Amino acid sequence: MKQLIGGSTARTLTRRSALTLGGLGLAGVTIGAWPRLTGSDIPGRKAEGLTIAILGNSADAEGRRGLAEEFHREFPEIDVHIQAIQGADWKDFFAKILTMVAAGSPPDIVYVATEGAQLFAEKLAEPLDDYIRRDADELREYFDDVHPSLVEAFMYQGSLFQLPIDWNAADMYLNTSTLHEAGLDRPADDWTQDDFTEMLRAMKKSQGAGFTPFYWTNRLFGGIVPWLYNNDTSFLTERKAPGGDWLWDGFYPDDPARSTRGGGFIWDGSNALDERVFESFDYMRELVDEGLGVRPEGGGGNSLVGLFSSGRVGATPAGGYWAQGLHEAGMGSDDFDVQFFPRNRTQRHQFGTAGYAIMRTAQNKDAAWEWLKFSARRESMEMAMPAPTTTPTRRSMVNASFYAETGPNNWQVFYETLDRFPSSGPIPAPPEQAAVENALIKNVTNAVSGSSRQTRAALQNLDRDLNLVLGSSR
Amino acid sequence: MTTQIEKNASPQVRRKVRRPVTGAFIGRLAVLLVAAVLTLGPVMWTLSTSLRLPSESFDLPPRFIPWDPDFTSYSEVFAQIDMIRLVVNSALMTGFIAAGQMITAAMAGYAFARLKFKGNRLLFGLVLATMMIPVQVTIVPVFMIIRGMGLADTLLALIIPAIPTAFGTFLMRQYFMGVPAELAEAAEIDGASQWRIFRSVYLPLATPGMAIVGILAFNYHWNEFFRPLILTISEENFTLPLGLVSLQGNMGTGSISVVLAGVILSMLPALVVFFFGQRSLRAGLTAGVGK
Amino acid sequence: MSDTTTDRIAAGSSGTSPVGVRRKPAPRGRRKKNLFAWVLLAPTIVGMGIFTIVPIIGSLLLAFFRWDIISRPEFVGLANFADIALDPTVRVSFLNTIVFVVVAVTLQLSIALVLASMIQERMPDWLRVFFRSTFFFPLVLSAASVSIFMGYLFNEQFGVVNWLIGLVGMAPVPWLTTPAGAAAVVIIVYVWQNFGFSFLLFVGGLGNIPKDVYEAAELDGASGIKKFMNVTMPLLSPTTLVASVMAVITALQVFDQPYVLTRGGPGDSTRSAVMVVFESAFEQLEFGRASAIGLVLMLLIMAVTYVQFQLSRRFVFYQ
Repeated sequence: MKQLIGGSTARTLTRRSALTLGGLGLAGVTIGAWPRLTGSDIPGRKAEGLTIAILGNSADAEGRRGLAEEFHREFPEIDVHIQAIQGADWKDFFAKILTMVAAGSPPDIVYVATEGAQLFAEKLAEPLDDYIRRDADELREYFDDVHPSLVEAFMYQGSLFQLPIDWNAADMYLNTSTLHEAGLDRPADDWTQDDFTEMLRAMKKSQGAGFTPFYWTNRLFGGIVPWLYNNDTSFLTERKAPGGDWLWDGFYPDDPARSTRGGGFIWDGSNALDERVFESFDYMRELVDEGLGVRPEGGGGNSLVGLFSSGRVGATPAGGYWAQGLHEAGMGSDDFDVQFFPRNRTQRHQFGTAGYAIMRTAQNKDAAWEWLKFSARRESMEMAMPAPTTTPTRRSMVNASFYAETGPNNWQVFYETLDRFPSSGPIPAPPEQAAVENALIKNVTNAVSGSSRQTRAALQNLDRDLNLVLGSSR
Repeated sequence: MTTQIEKNASPQVRRKVRRPVTGAFIGRLAVLLVAAVLTLGPVMWTLSTSLRLPSESFDLPPRFIPWDPDFTSYSEVFAQIDMIRLVVNSALMTGFIAAGQMITAAMAGYAFARLKFKGNRLLFGLVLATMMIPVQVTIVPVFMIIRGMGLADTLLALIIPAIPTAFGTFLMRQYFMGVPAELAEAAEIDGASQWRIFRSVYLPLATPGMAIVGILAFNYHWNEFFRPLILTISEENFTLPLGLVSLQGNMGTGSISVVLAGVILSMLPALVVFFFGQRSLRAGLTAGVGK
Repeated sequence: MSDTTTDRIAAGSSGTSPVGVRRKPAPRGRRKKNLFAWVLLAPTIVGMGIFTIVPIIGSLLLAFFRWDIISRPEFVGLANFADIALDPTVRVSFLNTIVFVVVAVTLQLSIALVLASMIQERMPDWLRVFFRSTFFFPLVLSAASVSIFMGYLFNEQFGVVNWLIGLVGMAPVPWLTTPAGAAAVVIIVYVWQNFGFSFLLFVGGLGNIPKDVYEAAELDGASGIKKFMNVTMPLLSPTTLVASVMAVITALQVFDQPYVLTRGGPGDSTRSAVMVVFESAFEQLEFGRASAIGLVLMLLIMAVTYVQFQLSRRFVFYQ
């Protein structure tokens, strides 16, 4: 239109006034948005108090905010700020915490999962031993309700650093209709790895193209490790530190596995060249080779819910956290089921857990400890975990009503995993966890994608990488 | 909209030479169409998958056109993340960065292109060199500086460090170099001040160039993840990409259609900016890089 | 509101400029100009000084320390550099990055150039606008989002790409789980998203080539490929320089695509240099080592850019 009126002068004039207008507009917006830009509209931000960092989305934060209010009602002198950090995974979360530490403004309390437990214990967290001894009577009820294996995962060099709040084991999820179409029933509790292979073959036969019976992801939890654990081995050497008797004798005198409990796991060497490790990898390689299992990808892992709920996958390892996800994806409680991980040399399971840790730098550690105790109460945990997006560490909460809406019908499997297989071990996560996980992940795909010889070569590489990681930091 | 205008305007400005449709024309069109399909295909699949139930996400043959859309995934996005707040924050952050870059880049670009001062070339080389530094290398010192300035955990902490722009300065310098020097000389003879020459003669001519700087800044910072992840602390200050990753859920339990719905929603504002800015963008690029 | 008019004004193309004014530098004005230049430069220079140069100097110093962020930094001299020189992962990641840059940038520029020159030719305007918008489109998406949905498409068992390949009767390709396949996917996804930028630069550059040059060439009997090689390429060379410098600088810093698609695997086959910087810092808590790797990468980028500009002296043709 403009070019009908005039040439460049008119245009230049319009532009000049547009620039002026733009400048004025910008000034206006700046003034209007100033509180938002400087964050001065955030209530109570400058206030003193406890800051608590959790990994999660705003829905998680909302749940915990209720918790924080409840806490404040009980301890009016302590202000609590929940910071939900929305990273994709533990690594994002950790990068953030570290930067805060570097800048001299670390949170007082951090929600740490098994993956980071030993790193925090080694470098950042405060041991809880004295507090626990002091408040032993108050805590007895908590420990009575929580399985000692979960507690042991947070022991490091004889001290306890966290009270576990939620956890998940790698059990086996099964697509019920796929199972039935293969003419099979739910496997027995003590099914073997061979039974598992046969199940996959039957599924494959009945489904045909566009279907792969077994899906697994390449990561530290639920990847190759459960297959190593049920073969009574691991890719790292595993032993337990001395100590911890004060806790076991004080709270778990009747634990059937009492003699095996100690002062926390020590994973400080490569075990990649162990023959049993090769066996497990070679088994996975055969599954891939036969078309019974997918080749695990390095990234992603996000497609799993879609694949499983649409019946393109028959079985996959996952924990109680999956119930809600499958429910949201449209699966009814009869559409999927869960069973223990199959047995090989043992039926040892892998699990991961998480809880709050107090930072050594925290100003008011006593207040922080109050938060830890408060959040471990049953009412608090119910508030924090309204739906089965994870498994509560309190046995009394893992009940029919918790899974009523989502399923699975055999929800008992979740907690029984620990009772039936007390040797079940946490995610192997030494202080160098990130580097260890990297070393594992980068070699798994190669190990299961070719010949047996390639598997051996990949394990050699894994061994070299692990030695580099574990050797260099000592 | 753009199409409409171009179509109407075209007869007046474009010389039309009627030539018969040739084989070369059809071949060229075929190549362009294949390229367009390959470009849009993945996006169409994303759109159509976001409009289906999670259990249908992996249907093969794939569906690229959502005939009977289902919006559950979209309402799920709004249920899981505080979309409004995230969008407001993202818009404020990207808006101010874009505006700031447009202004400072125009100023610096003009100085580099049109003004003589000692060390011009050296300084310009130095500015360019800052493009070569991965953000991962400097993020920790940047966070410490921000904190030292008392800006920790504010949107300004995301905005201010992103305003000086090497690429924008580079682009604006190229741009001003394309504007004939005679204009300034004429104005100088008329007794105009330095400021007036810049403000009233050159700057209006440079608006398309500034538009490119603004649009590129918008695209880049709208989608930025790493800096906001590290530099913000309170949830009140989070930006959209941070919200989107949380849709993936713990251990990837989120459903793919919800994740994809988030992807589609997040690209809408960038798309709007792109369509409205397309004309200046193109004009700016044409003038800016040729010289 | 035609774009052609805008272009002409914006470019200030010859013909409209006042003639007869000659440059007469006045010393007084010079000094004023000098001061004014610094005023205009101040925001950019001060900003970069604080938020880029100071952190870089910090980083430079840090490269001589061992620091896990939590404990005090410990001076280790050149140990970090010696360490990365021997580290196979670092070496492989730099090699990967170089191969990636060569392949991805070549693809990105040639696809962009071919498509850009094709839409210069005669066609209805709406079609031209459609193509132009389409090719630019992937740029408005975030690299992380793109990598997420591309990951689904390239899934070996369930992805659309292998389904299409199956239609032609070929066996499914293990895209993300073999070194070659994973590298290919990272390159494809990267080029898919970034060619639009070079495309727009080329469209701009081609638009600046005066029509009469072509007409002259046609009179001389040049056509098709010959016209392209002898007329278009030389006249386009300044744009090609800008496009390739930008493409190389961006590609050398590739991170999002391999991080989301493959986590650098299988093995180290898609691990990029920036990924190693990130992993050293935030995963292994070796901030000094990360700084050292970052500095080496920065020097590499500078060297490559310098070479590009040197080459440009020989090959770039200015009108």
